[in-house]
Amino acid sequence: MNEHSFIFVPEMRVRDIHKEKLVKQKAIELMLQDGINGFSMQKLAKACGISVATLYIYYTNKEDLIIKVGIEEGKRMHEAMTKGFSADMPFAEGLKKQWENRAAYALKNKETSAFFENIKHTSYADAIVTEITEAYRPIMKQFTQNAIARKELRFISFESYWSVAYGPLYTLLKFEQDGKSVGNRPFKFSKKIMYESLELVLKALKP
Amino acid sequence: MAHILIFKTNIETDTAHYEVASLLNAHSSVIGWHIDKDDVDKVLRIESTIANSSEIISTINKAGFICEELPD
Repeated sequence: MNEHSFIFVPEMRVRDIHKEKLVKQKAIELMLQDGINGFSMQKLAKACGISVATLYIYYTNKEDLIIKVGIEEGKRMHEAMTKGFSADMPFAEGLKKQWENRAAYALKNKETSAFFENIKHTSYADAIVTEITEAYRPIMKQFTQNAIARKELRFISFESYWSVAYGPLYTLLKFEQDGKSVGNRPFKFSKKIMYESLELVLKALKP
Repeated sequence: MAHILIFKTNIETDTAHYEVASLLNAHSSVIGWHIDKDDVDKVLRIESTIANSSEIISTINKAGFICEELPD
């Protein structure tokens, strides 16, 4: 045995995919439960059953964590929205697909949807929105431009378009999230009610 | 490959932060670093070319601050 026979292997801190997923999920849960101000790295580490040190391998601080989680979830959401959708679709068919995709995502990912609602009015939103809409905006813009060129869509300001095209859907999804609609009327989201509203939206947006 | 080293410190004030910054920026093995001053442990996160943390600890200690490795 000589001095070279002992090899010192430093303990390495390695990323673990499963742990990372757990951290993201718990982070969203805790932020909804305690609010963004009440959320901390210490609380998150405890909830995940990991040490604070491990958490700091993934993220430099709370802000970094919120932005990274937001961007990743946002990308996942936009992927879900464009599934089976193309900018060349006839307007009615394309908008129907958008409604179906957006509703499916919101119903399946209630916590994430609520998380996005919560951070909308915080300083984190800018960093997240800039990053995630970059990839998504061109296809949606192409979709409406094609529809206008084919005279399937009325040419109006972007905000008017968006509020008419998607406003009713998000109102229905909000009712679903609250479990009640206007005046505390019990409410359950259904495809029937979604298509009923979509029909009126399509009628309104025709040139 | 960079090694990530995580420490608990008492680097709390801007002056302390500034002092530690000059030490870390001058440190040859440090690629990047960050101190989370909002955290109770004032966590110092270092990206280093070496996996051994003792050099960092002694550098910070010499400047008069607490610096301990946060356990995994």
